Amino acid sequence: MKLQEMGDITEAPLTVRQYFSNIWEAISSTYKGMKITLKYVYGVKEVTIQYPEEKEELPLNSRSRLFNDVENCISCMQCSTACPVSCIYISAVKRDKDAPKLKTTSGSPVRLDLTMYTIDEALCCFCGLCTTVCPTECLTHTRDYEFSQYVLDGMKYDYLSPEIRAWRTRLVKK
Amino acid sequence: MQEKHRKEEKLKTELLTISMGPQHPATHGVLRVEIKTDSEIVTQAIPHIGYLHRCMEKHSENLDYRGIIPFTDRLDYLAAMNMELTYVMAVEKMLKTEVPVRAEYIRVIVGELQRIASHLLFFGTYAIDLGAFSPFLYVFQDREFILRIFEELSGARLLYNYIWIGGVWNDITDDQIKRIGTFCDTLDESLKKYHTLVGENKIFISRTAHVGIMNKDMAMDFGATGPILRAAGVNWDLRKNRPYSIYPKMAFDIPVGTGEKGTVGDCWDRYFVRVREMHESIKIIKQCLAGIEAGPIMGKVPKIIKVPKGEIYMRTECARGELGYHLVSDGGKKPYRLKVKSSCFTHVSMLPAVAPGLMIADLVATIGSIDIVLGEIDR
Amino acid sequence: MHNEWVSFINTSVPTANAVLVQPQGTTDAATGVTTPGAGDSWITVASEEVKAVCQVLKDGEHQFTTLHAITGVDYPTEGHIEITYILSSMSKNSELLLKTRVSRGDGVKLSKLPSVVSVWAAANFQERECYDMFGVLFYGHPDLRRLLCPDDWIGYPLRKDYVVQTKYRDMVINPANKMNFQEREFGARHEHIAGASTSVENYSVPAPVKE
Repeated sequence: MKLQEMGDITEAPLTVRQYFSNIWEAISSTYKGMKITLKYVYGVKEVTIQYPEEKEELPLNSRSRLFNDVENCISCMQCSTACPVSCIYISAVKRDKDAPKLKTTSGSPVRLDLTMYTIDEALCCFCGLCTTVCPTECLTHTRDYEFSQYVLDGMKYDYLSPEIRAWRTRLVKK
Repeated sequence: MQEKHRKEEKLKTELLTISMGPQHPATHGVLRVEIKTDSEIVTQAIPHIGYLHRCMEKHSENLDYRGIIPFTDRLDYLAAMNMELTYVMAVEKMLKTEVPVRAEYIRVIVGELQRIASHLLFFGTYAIDLGAFSPFLYVFQDREFILRIFEELSGARLLYNYIWIGGVWNDITDDQIKRIGTFCDTLDESLKKYHTLVGENKIFISRTAHVGIMNKDMAMDFGATGPILRAAGVNWDLRKNRPYSIYPKMAFDIPVGTGEKGTVGDCWDRYFVRVREMHESIKIIKQCLAGIEAGPIMGKVPKIIKVPKGEIYMRTECARGELGYHLVSDGGKKPYRLKVKSSCFTHVSMLPAVAPGLMIADLVATIGSIDIVLGEIDR
Repeated sequence: MHNEWVSFINTSVPTANAVLVQPQGTTDAATGVTTPGAGDSWITVASEEVKAVCQVLKDGEHQFTTLHAITGVDYPTEGHIEITYILSSMSKNSELLLKTRVSRGDGVKLSKLPSVVSVWAAANFQERECYDMFGVLFYGHPDLRRLLCPDDWIGYPLRKDYVVQTKYRDMVINPANKMNFQEREFGARHEHIAGASTSVENYSVPAPVKE
């Protein structure tokens, strides 16, 4: 495209009246705008939260780090089938017939022993589909959002390990 | 004199190729625009996309219908509720489920709030593209309220997974309804203030009026939809012309570009259509809050969803244009093919036609005014 | 409305062989109850006449001035790819799905369709994406090259038999040390228990031994 053909500006040609009108418009619109921004200098309360000294309280159903209360898990595998990114790894074996009978806090019998329950929180997309299908509500979203790790493998949470089981007192309400 | 003449003969000029590269603060994502310029004037602009291609359509052939909803969120991540709504409506139409009235009201409230949030973000980022730094944070403060309401409703601030097949996930409480009502009133006042600050400013008008003109013929030929089409002068909005959900009960106007400060279809018109759309959305939300009925929020949906064999194309009006889902099912638990028709994809293809003749700074203003989100373009 | 369009196409472009396909209901053999079909109806035309049909649909009385999308669906068992043109008319407030079939081929020699870029400018990027994802050539397109995948990518991703290449330039795709093998094994394990009973006897992989 030639340079001469481009640039179809359809403005009217500039007259002296238009020239001064432009200057007046520029000054008046800038003045109106400055009045608004100057109000924000002294007239508005500060909204910055001094993190990490002050932390904002998240709503109760915020979907952050997952926690599975393995004492109550019946190994129904619903969470891993519902997960769209396949980040929940479960395996279980059938309990011996002679082993003592176990029940969850809601009363359903536990027929399978969990041998592995790992969630890869780096893959997790925090959609919440796994928590809605859990029948005993042992898998829940907590409100913890500060859980970065130095190594990617550290994001695989093994919920059967004793360190994670120790969170139970903090997170599960009786 | 003769030497100078000889020197001028040897002077060759070429077009300079610049890559307005994938990492650029003004391209709103990873978009690469290859610009060929003659000094300051652009002669050719070729967009290159595909830097954010995440193969969502291939993934959705391996996921069951409920599991696709988080993936649809991540298409246009700045207006996620609208993305979910269209997909869920397509599946519900195939399954012929009845959605309860309260769920429809909640969906419209949430959808219009999302439209306001998306347009507020456009306002802030467009101003900052052109050099105005203050409105960005003012607008984010208002948007913070909307995201907080969404977090209370769904659990997440940006990618919600809230609108489910058959209804919505959580109910809305009376307290939240009251707070949304007061927010709408304050936002109405604030928007007028923001428009005086940015839209009426002479510098902003000089940079956006008569720039990047997409007139009616060009918009219809390229299949543009949404605010770009309305700014070009065409009165077409899916919420009025092909109404869905409870929009037939709502009274609102469709803002159309009139060329107030420049020509019809220039950047200023596209900006102003979005500002007026925010006012109309506030009207719709107030009517919904007044008319919301009590009742269940989830209809009857089977535990394992199997969509019968057939095809459907469902489209709704999203913040950036018309979003369409073409769902092909073979009767199983997973879709056979899910195609997402995104509005930003068509809008980006208009760049080669609108760019020649603009200066580089005008090109920045034009790309900002078409309001693209790369997640929707690349999927 | 669809019937009007079919007769209009057949009179304007006689070689198009336009056929209307409606969603079919299913009848339960045991109970004899018929459930009506779900979804949209569409019109199939012959693949060589697609451009002529699109031109008459746009310029004629029905005014399909907007092209929304050009998509494809791969049917490997039937040996063809179905290309769909999603059209709509703003003045008449209507929507139409127009379909045509091309042979699937073997992915090396590709089938061709006439390009509709001269009818609607929106077809430019849509046809490029269709070529990128399915390997269907559109002759007459001003600039047919890959859109979402890199220009020297091999293969057409949305075909059902697509296998991703092992190397791209000098980068290894899906390197073994970065693949999440637990996820792969687990996915394979889950294939046969999705929807089945939750008893653990279905497992063919024994539980891992704790070290």
